[in-house]
Amino acid sequence: MKLPKLLAGLAVASMALAACGTSNTGNNASKGTIKIGVDFPESGAETSNGIPSLNGVKFAVQQLGSVDGFSLQVFNLDDAVNGVHDPQKGAQNVQQFVDDTKVLGMIGPFNSSVARAEIPITNRAHLVQISPANTNQCLTKDVYIPTALTGLPDVDCKAAGVPFPKDLRPTGTNNYFRVATTDDLQGPANSDYFYNDLKITKVGVASDAEAYGKGIADTFSARFKKDGGTVVKRQDFPNASHVSDFRSFLRSAQAAGAQAIYFGGTDSNNACVVRNQMKGIFPDSTPFGGGDGIVTGQCLKDAAAQAVGMYGTVATVAAEQVSGAQTTIDAFKKAFTSKDDYGAYTMPSYDATKILVAAIHKAIQANSGNMPTRQAVLDQMYKTDYTGVLGHTSFDTLGDTTNKVITIYTVKDATTGWEVTKTVDLSHGL
Amino acid sequence: MAAVVGALKGTRTALSGVLGTWLFLGGVALVLGVFIVPNAIANPSLFLQILIFGVANGGIFALIALGYTMVYGIIELINFAHGDIFTLGAFLALPLIGLFGVTDATPFSVGLVLILLFVTGVVMVLDGGINILIERLAYRPLRNAPRLAILITAVGMSFILEGAMYVWRGANNVHFPDVLPSTRIPLPGGATFGAKDVIVITAALGLVLVLNVFTNNSKLGKAMRATAQDREAAQLMGININRTIAATFFIGAALAAAGGIMFGLYFNNIRFDEGFTAGLFAFTAAVFGGIGNIRGAALGGLFIGLIQAFSTAYLVAALTDVIIFGILIIVLVFRPTGLLGMQVPEK
Repeated sequence: MKLPKLLAGLAVASMALAACGTSNTGNNASKGTIKIGVDFPESGAETSNGIPSLNGVKFAVQQLGSVDGFSLQVFNLDDAVNGVHDPQKGAQNVQQFVDDTKVLGMIGPFNSSVARAEIPITNRAHLVQISPANTNQCLTKDVYIPTALTGLPDVDCKAAGVPFPKDLRPTGTNNYFRVATTDDLQGPANSDYFYNDLKITKVGVASDAEAYGKGIADTFSARFKKDGGTVVKRQDFPNASHVSDFRSFLRSAQAAGAQAIYFGGTDSNNACVVRNQMKGIFPDSTPFGGGDGIVTGQCLKDAAAQAVGMYGTVATVAAEQVSGAQTTIDAFKKAFTSKDDYGAYTMPSYDATKILVAAIHKAIQANSGNMPTRQAVLDQMYKTDYTGVLGHTSFDTLGDTTNKVITIYTVKDATTGWEVTKTVDLSHGL
Repeated sequence: MAAVVGALKGTRTALSGVLGTWLFLGGVALVLGVFIVPNAIANPSLFLQILIFGVANGGIFALIALGYTMVYGIIELINFAHGDIFTLGAFLALPLIGLFGVTDATPFSVGLVLILLFVTGVVMVLDGGINILIERLAYRPLRNAPRLAILITAVGMSFILEGAMYVWRGANNVHFPDVLPSTRIPLPGGATFGAKDVIVITAALGLVLVLNVFTNNSKLGKAMRATAQDREAAQLMGININRTIAATFFIGAALAAAGGIMFGLYFNNIRFDEGFTAGLFAFTAAVFGGIGNIRGAALGGLFIGLIQAFSTAYLVAALTDVIIFGILIIVLVFRPTGLLGMQVPEK
């Protein structure tokens, strides 16, 4: 592949400019625009999830400005309808990305149920899709609950009532990637922590009966039983966002001997109201566990006086723990000053964007400096070997990150909020 | 098929009287004996606790159901916006309570009780006034229109109220001060009674009793009952229909507002759309007990609160709604007028 010297010089120059972090959006770009599609739930009860993630993308694009002479633009759409993430809306948004020829890749969505509706569309268009936050294992893997968790035969996705990954990929090839790892590791990480670190042997488990919530509650329960503990009470609450009283469940769990409660679900589905209602039924600071759906500011508000003693897992590396990442975080907080602008998935979204742009850059180079095809960008994505605020990221053949790290957060003090308490590396399996 | 329908009709006639009541009570006794009593004996402290949760929630449902039942009784409208009037009560109380500087840290004292009573009184009047306004603007012009028109208007009103609260306080849970005493009163066997539970149950019961006394003994109560029975005859007797209907809306909203504030103080988390589910269950309670019947609404509310609590504690939480509506359907098939019978205008 011949690369004219002048273009090589331009490429180096623009890379150098990007590395310097200048935030000129499009002034040195003369070749056109490249858009990055972004699909998150941006309104209603989901704002606490979607906006921090969107901000991560915006910050990355602000810093980069352009790639190889093409100016970078964020094309973001909201997949929330009436304040709740909606798969059909997500699918419509993604169709818009596909129809816009300037879009060479997309970041999102936030929710696994929305991803399920979107992947077939991006797959047909060979459009790179990176999610910073999807954790449901059946988006990339065939096994819902592996043998390693239970000691029993694998429970596959079909048995769990969800489509296989291949059913979401009509072309037979993969275009979907994620920098977060999966729920079959998230639930177990919390379970191991409860059993081994907190010495809890009996737990009450509940969920909001949604794909994510029930999935994570199932994997937690499976692992907890394998560790040697007992799930003394299990309830699923459909329409949990409309349930106001969880105390009957909590009291019956307490009567059965529960020493802790695990809730699979999101804060918008009242996960942390469950925590708040443990007051008077369990001693204060009784452990309460959940997934990344509860590691939010809204959860702290809902839990109110009972916030201390909560444990939440996040299926990515905590950027705060990665050496060198703090400068980026501080720069972000200078550019986005509100406390609600930064969330658990801001830095994953940031890295996902930079990984996408890195792939676009390589594709441009491979195309002699011209606008590459989506397939070309996709080909480069497979070869990702990137080091950033999440540490080192590369992808396996399924599109999952090789960085299988679960970060466990806890609330020790209601004013400081969520803090990292342990990082669990499950890259070598359970 | 015709035979089944015929048999059903025959059964229904047979069951609509005293026989039906006894059969229903028999069914309740069966459920109690087979399911409730064994659990109660196995762990009495848990049973008592669940019972208390059920009665407290039932009390709040009852307060909302009263508004549904009274409005239906008087103008045959299912006021879908009523659940949101309930939520509005809690939302209106928040800034007022804030004005007095009440926060989670405020100690429970006579002063606090006076503040809460004052705020509740003000909000009851405010919410009642809003409901009168809604009736005047949205429902009265449609009083002689086809029934669907006023029904859809009520649905629309519900969305408007929810939208207003969404714009005002956002989509997420809003914190309501946790100021009721958290003392727990021990009972024999290890169970504990929360002071909060006692307060909610007493307040709800008190309000229901006051309403009962009011409708039976006061002049306005008599006018309400008369209008509910036969609007034209009442008018002929010199009763001001518009004023009576407005009073019904006022009282229903006042009760719902009180319920909303109790909900806030009890659960400490309110949300703009909680009226949707609460209203649905309260409406179910009203129909269950006999729409138009005040005692029926209170009973129905209690029932639903108890079913919810017991189903979640002893059975499968995911099936709670199935159980509630299953029981409702069975009762209505054999007793369409509800448990205590309907009290609606004669045609």
